[in-house]
Amino acid sequence: MRTGARGAEPGKAIGRSTRAPRWARPAGPAGPSGADNGPDQPRRLHADSGLPDRVFRVVASGGGGLVLAVMLLVGGFLLYRAWQALSVAKWKFLTTSAWEPDAHHFGIAAVMVGTCLIALVAVIVAVPLAIGTALYITEYAPPRLRRTLVSIVDLMAAVPSVVYGLWGLFFLQGKVIGLARWISTNFGWIPPFKVDGADPHDPLATPTVYTASTFIAGLVVAMMVAPIICSVVREVFSQTPVGEREGAYALGATRWGVIRSVVLPFAKGGMIGGTMLGLGRALGETIGVYMVISPVFKVQWHVFQSGTSSVSSLIALRYGEASKFGMSALMAAGLALFVMTLVVNFAASSIAARSRSGATAE
Amino acid sequence: MRRIRAAAAAFAMLLCSLLILGQAPARADSYARISGAGSTWSQNAIDQWRREVTQYGMTVDYAGTGSSDGRQQFANGTVDFAVSEIPYGMTEFGVREPPPRRGYAYMPIVAGGTSFMYNLKIGGHQVTNLRLSGNSLAKIFTGKITNWSDPQLRADNPGLTLPNRKIIPVVRSDGSGTTAQFTLWMSKQQGALWNDYCQRLGKPTPCGLTSYYPVIPGSGFIAQSGSLGVSGYTRQGYAEGAITYVEYSYAVTTGFPVAKILNSAGYYTEPTAANVAVALLQAQINQDKNSSQYLTQILDNVYTNTDKRTYPLSSYSYMIIPTRLESPLTADKGRTLGAFSYYFLCEGQRQAQPLGFSPLPINLVQAGFDQIKRIPGVQTQSINIQGCHNPTFSTDGTNTLAKNAPFPPACDKQGPLQCATGTAGARNVTTPVKPAASTSGGSSSGGSSSGGTASGGTTGATSGGNTGGSGGSTGGSAGGSASGGTASGGTTAGGTTAGGTTTTAGGTTGGKVDPDTGLPAGDAGGSTGGAQDIAASSVAVGNDSFWGMRTWLMGLSALVLLAVVLAPPTIARRLNRGGRR
Repeated sequence: MRTGARGAEPGKAIGRSTRAPRWARPAGPAGPSGADNGPDQPRRLHADSGLPDRVFRVVASGGGGLVLAVMLLVGGFLLYRAWQALSVAKWKFLTTSAWEPDAHHFGIAAVMVGTCLIALVAVIVAVPLAIGTALYITEYAPPRLRRTLVSIVDLMAAVPSVVYGLWGLFFLQGKVIGLARWISTNFGWIPPFKVDGADPHDPLATPTVYTASTFIAGLVVAMMVAPIICSVVREVFSQTPVGEREGAYALGATRWGVIRSVVLPFAKGGMIGGTMLGLGRALGETIGVYMVISPVFKVQWHVFQSGTSSVSSLIALRYGEASKFGMSALMAAGLALFVMTLVVNFAASSIAARSRSGATAE
Repeated sequence: MRRIRAAAAAFAMLLCSLLILGQAPARADSYARISGAGSTWSQNAIDQWRREVTQYGMTVDYAGTGSSDGRQQFANGTVDFAVSEIPYGMTEFGVREPPPRRGYAYMPIVAGGTSFMYNLKIGGHQVTNLRLSGNSLAKIFTGKITNWSDPQLRADNPGLTLPNRKIIPVVRSDGSGTTAQFTLWMSKQQGALWNDYCQRLGKPTPCGLTSYYPVIPGSGFIAQSGSLGVSGYTRQGYAEGAITYVEYSYAVTTGFPVAKILNSAGYYTEPTAANVAVALLQAQINQDKNSSQYLTQILDNVYTNTDKRTYPLSSYSYMIIPTRLESPLTADKGRTLGAFSYYFLCEGQRQAQPLGFSPLPINLVQAGFDQIKRIPGVQTQSINIQGCHNPTFSTDGTNTLAKNAPFPPACDKQGPLQCATGTAGARNVTTPVKPAASTSGGSSSGGSSSGGTASGGTTGATSGGNTGGSGGSTGGSAGGSASGGTASGGTTAGGTTAGGTTTTAGGTTGGKVDPDTGLPAGDAGGSTGGAQDIAASSVAVGNDSFWGMRTWLMGLSALVLLAVVLAPPTIARRLNRGGRR
């Protein structure tokens, strides 16, 4: 993971200096201050920060603290509202797949599996697309085209998800049925690709069993997360140290060689971070999924089978639910999603922070 | 960058000037912006009215998020008004929805029919004249009838040769007043089927209405959100065999037909404005002004209205209006809401019919005017009701629209006849019916005249598979017997792959064979002249076998492609390395 630690890499010395331990840095100009106390005790630095500095520090840390407080409040609110439902459902909340809160029979097994599968499909589709696009933009595209492409990708990120949902429902779905059918017919022996109720030998069989599926929802979400991943990754790619790049060229590397030996290793952390960011977005995507899927409350492992569900679309669909307890159950589902997204994002940032390009990827 | 900035500035200037120009004709007393949410059933009408009132300077925002969501949002105080088909306080699966703490009242806004839009083809031609009895309808939406060629559906449609296709019921996934109206009808009229369905889902029985249509996983039902979602899904090419429930206007605007539903008088009717108006003459309206349910509807007598023109699933849609000045309502907003309500209760009703709704009768318009007075901040208008040009109004107090409603033709009566004319959005598309069921030659074309020699042979030969030949020969030899079943053997055998179009000369036609089902399309045929087209619908077929020739070839070509791409650099590298050593 620690790409920076590989000292033998060409061009290392010219590039950005590796991140030095913090205590070592101030030792430069002042020099060791002789016999203080004991061996190698880091000298405490005392800089006189003026009033503007102090004000700035307070404002900045206040902003950071506010973000944290908001997060805590959201989590606390969800937990508070969800408590009524959670105290009834207990651990069964994690294993039940039905959603009948008023019959006290509800759980997130089905919706969680659905959410994860949709996000997984989205990431599998979006990551190669995004990384390829980013590589083309930073490495291959002529400068004039580059600017256009960047703005187009940014524009893609700005398109509201309702539009993607409409597009997925009315356009994409009809076009990808053929692909879904082909894969499930030929690779149906792999369990996730199986589709129940489909008979490829029956010409009158309905293709609707392939619609409103995890796969199509995942494709729609992929279109939404790809630009986000792309812009993060592109940013990281473009920060590859010029020195290392030039060093590689000087050693006779081709363009692809440079990408493989310099750009990709440098950007590994950024790519992982961007992917996780996209994953976080994919987990929480609501309207696009809500419009495409046909919700069922059953654990649906079959990716191409019609009928799936996700936490956020469940909340959007059932928000009009009459009972107080039903709302509490929805809050509990929301809490589960909140926790999961938080875990994903923390994992992402901790992975990204361990790499050279990590700092920029967050 | 500078260019972009300049362009942005120019755009902003343009926008501003447009805004100023747009504002110019607005009257000096500008209206406060109001927002509402709820029903998608009546959304087409509301959207039309919203567009119309912009000329008076009113801005009304409306989000069609489903009736349940609308009621919830109104109760939470996030919108100024809601639109819903069912009132507060309904019990769904044993849970009673609590009424909001805000002051509220109901006001009918428009009438309409919950219609059943479908996407069905026979031999490549869209079916536009499907008829369904209440029992068939309930069986379709409870998963009891799963195939279009079910005997019960064939009995409903004597003139159609329904294909052997799976029925795809498309239901609403969000909380919806349309679902509530439909399930209310089912629970009242087809209680046994509906309760049985609930039982299969593990719900408490007897179950009444519900806003969330329960779906059994893996039953082939598709759930989509919003009226646009279900109607949009149903109209897609891949959704052949789908049927859904939406307000009539969605079928009209989508250009799709709706099923004619059997009423108590034994006629299959379409939810036209007139038929809905007739049906709703029997609606019981709560007349107790002190009740919180004032003006709400009880539809039991509508379902069983014995007028021949009745469309049984007719109902009113309601606006839930605020009656107390509390957040988010202000006096200014109340004024806008009042003016908007006056508009759609009076002038707006004229547009109901072309949109696919039915205008309110005079008594409800008057009651609505009284309700408007309860909105805080309203500027009461005294409107001469005659000036509204509402098609239901008359001088003698009767409902003109209902009085002048056309009676259904004889071919819409339950029995051996079936009309060929289209419905709803596909009004101009006729569906050919079997001669026996058509009004013109229905009785004369018995079983006596039966051709079939030529057609049986041709059909068999053209579609010829390995068994097709034999089927054809039997068809030919059977000759005079019009049973066509023999010929059908040939067609089914050959018909598994995509077919072309076979035209048989009318004079000699005997068994018109439907390529989808392989069933005879005409009972006896031959009596009427003219050419009959049998259009085979092209169907997609999955690969016959995974390990067939095609797959091997595809795999081989992929390997070759890979080799072509990868081999040269690999070999070159090998050679280079060898050379360097």
